Amino acid sequence: MAKPKNKYKVPVLDGKISIPKIVPGASAYEHMIEAQKEDMEALGFPFKLQDGWKEKALGVFKEILDHNKAVRDYMDICVRCGACTDKCQFFLGTADPNNMPVQRQELMRKVYRYYFTPSGFFKSLSNAQELTEEVLKEWYTYFWQCSECRRCSLYCPYGIDTAEITMAARQIMDSIGLGQKYTTEVIHKVFKTGNNIGIPPAALRNTLNDLEEEIEEEGGKGVKIPMDVEGAEVLLVPPSADFFAMPHMESLKGYAKVFHKAGISYTVSSYASEAGNFGKFIGSYQSTKEINKRIWDEARRLKVKRVIIGECGHAWRAAYMYSNTMNGPFDFLDSKYKQPTHICDFTLGLIKSGAIKLDPSANDDKVVTFHDSCNVARGSRIGDVVGGQFTIPRELIKAAANKFVELREGTTKESTFCCGAGGGLLTEEVMNVRLAGSMPRMQTVKEAVDNHGVNFYALICAICKTQFTKVFPLYGLDEEMVGGIHQLVSNAIIM
Amino acid sequence: MAPLNLTTAIYLLITYTVGLIFVIGVVLRIYQYATTPQPIKIMLTPAPLTKSGAFARVLGEVFFFKSLFKSNISTWIFGYLFHISFFLLIFMHFLRHFIYSNPLPWWYNIFVNIGIVCGIIMVLSLFLLLMRRVIIERVKFISLFQDYLILILLMLIGLAGLSLNYVLTPSALTVVDNRLDPYMNGLLTFQFTNIPSNPVFLIHYTLVMLLVLYIPFSKVMHFVGIFFSPTRNMADNPIEERYYRPKAKDLSI
Repeated sequence: MAKPKNKYKVPVLDGKISIPKIVPGASAYEHMIEAQKEDMEALGFPFKLQDGWKEKALGVFKEILDHNKAVRDYMDICVRCGACTDKCQFFLGTADPNNMPVQRQELMRKVYRYYFTPSGFFKSLSNAQELTEEVLKEWYTYFWQCSECRRCSLYCPYGIDTAEITMAARQIMDSIGLGQKYTTEVIHKVFKTGNNIGIPPAALRNTLNDLEEEIEEEGGKGVKIPMDVEGAEVLLVPPSADFFAMPHMESLKGYAKVFHKAGISYTVSSYASEAGNFGKFIGSYQSTKEINKRIWDEARRLKVKRVIIGECGHAWRAAYMYSNTMNGPFDFLDSKYKQPTHICDFTLGLIKSGAIKLDPSANDDKVVTFHDSCNVARGSRIGDVVGGQFTIPRELIKAAANKFVELREGTTKESTFCCGAGGGLLTEEVMNVRLAGSMPRMQTVKEAVDNHGVNFYALICAICKTQFTKVFPLYGLDEEMVGGIHQLVSNAIIM
Repeated sequence: MAPLNLTTAIYLLITYTVGLIFVIGVVLRIYQYATTPQPIKIMLTPAPLTKSGAFARVLGEVFFFKSLFKSNISTWIFGYLFHISFFLLIFMHFLRHFIYSNPLPWWYNIFVNIGIVCGIIMVLSLFLLLMRRVIIERVKFISLFQDYLILILLMLIGLAGLSLNYVLTPSALTVVDNRLDPYMNGLLTFQFTNIPSNPVFLIHYTLVMLLVLYIPFSKVMHFVGIFFSPTRNMADNPIEERYYRPKAKDLSI
């Protein structure tokens, strides 16, 4: 156990989220592993820089400027007021100035100035720079140290969204053969097997059988997790981690029990066995659309009435925000329901209508806190009212557990910090970046543990769950604390 | 009509050229932002559910700098003071044109004094904004030449404007004032008269021309861009109302 602690730079938890003195180049050596040939080619990208890469890159840059209002607008209007400089968890954690949102944007803006504005004439004065391999290297380093969480955009007087700029940069890099292994591999797997982990249908069925057995052993008699059942009422699309990873599976058990007790027929799909959408991480409209399309194709094929998305942050943003645009309209589904519906919205609705009953005292051994996941908090809505993404998960927790405390004020709801691993950063080689990025959130977790005896850290995001399960032990906290909201529901539901 | 002097001829040329570049530059930018499609909804939530709500959100940013207020209170104070005083001054410069008559209204002095107070606030807030860039390590790091340039240009404009009231004798100022109105009218009606020849005034005027010329090429365009910012101006209704922009070419998100 001691070994990984030595290997990584683990921030000290003293309860303070202080603004560091800048250290240029502090995280310049934290690199992503570059994409593999087969994955890049499968996604239609070249592999490694080819002759003429610069013209190609500038061509894609121009296309993006012409077809993306956000990037077009945001390239021009930053006044460098500095409001964002102390808002990014990766800057707070690494102290590298290129992780200040404005400076991350500047990496792209200086190239924009050189090629697309008259200030390219006054190069050194206006900080306009040619696109060189050196600049590309910077791009590859720092645009892969952004989790696209959009905390900076919240605080920007113009709403400038670094995530959009990061996505554009990744798109440009992909188009000239400079991809990241983790995301391209995952997207390739989704297209091959239907999910990010690469589980084939037979293996998935086996896992579901095991889970059914486990549920039965825990006293949930007759609870089934149907797969590829035509004519079910609901198509449930969880993140694939819910099938295989811990503590994610505990939430899947929770979903199964909820459907069982409510008497609503449902099915998961082996083809759309993944809610996650990594296409979004690399900013590719086409990949995002194709990945998203699987869900709606399956909804059609299985003749369901509605689609419900499991506990996953960016998956929910992609499903909620992009589905209708990319693959809608969904007039073949029941118009009574929101398409898609978030699982928390669904479960809370059943509790309110009395269709299922929870005994919160079943979780009396737990003091629960909740981490708002960035993509849910700042990139989507749950339910019918503004801010439902904050109230619905909390109401659900309170229905399932008696002891609930909030994390530090100013770091929750829309001001939440990212877990440090979103946006395609959930990969081993940048563990130091992930640790640094998790630092601000971990300070508040430590505080909640010390002051309020918190021992359950409720999440509704598969990436958050994986990240915190990994970093908690490195910070000296128990990884068993990490779990999903439906894990609490699973414990509390009266069978 | 008195014959025009060379100075006036030059300034007329400058003023029309600068005005034309400004108008064309700003209109082109507006056109560009307005016609570039936004591929998908990216509003930062929690966001209003309706279009009018989203527009109100943008106005909240425009009139109160709401997001900046949340993020950095000192920047908000300095920035807000600057913008308010700057806009009041622009407004009062135009207004002056209508109230400067013979005889002057009894409250003309009060009007001028309000302007002077605004000018002082403007220069002071600009100075504080400049100090931020010099003193705060992070802000210094991100500051570029153009960030200092615009602050200094605006400060010089303010100082030159104030000098008109403090350096000039009252009678000299009256000479400027008396010549200014016919000159301005001339710009609109093409019945040209000579520009006030006081050097302090000409410095003020020249700096303003420089600013107006620079605006379409500078970060000052944020006054247009804010209205087109998708994270702020989109309504949170992707399920209720299908958003689709075929011109976005399925290229990027």
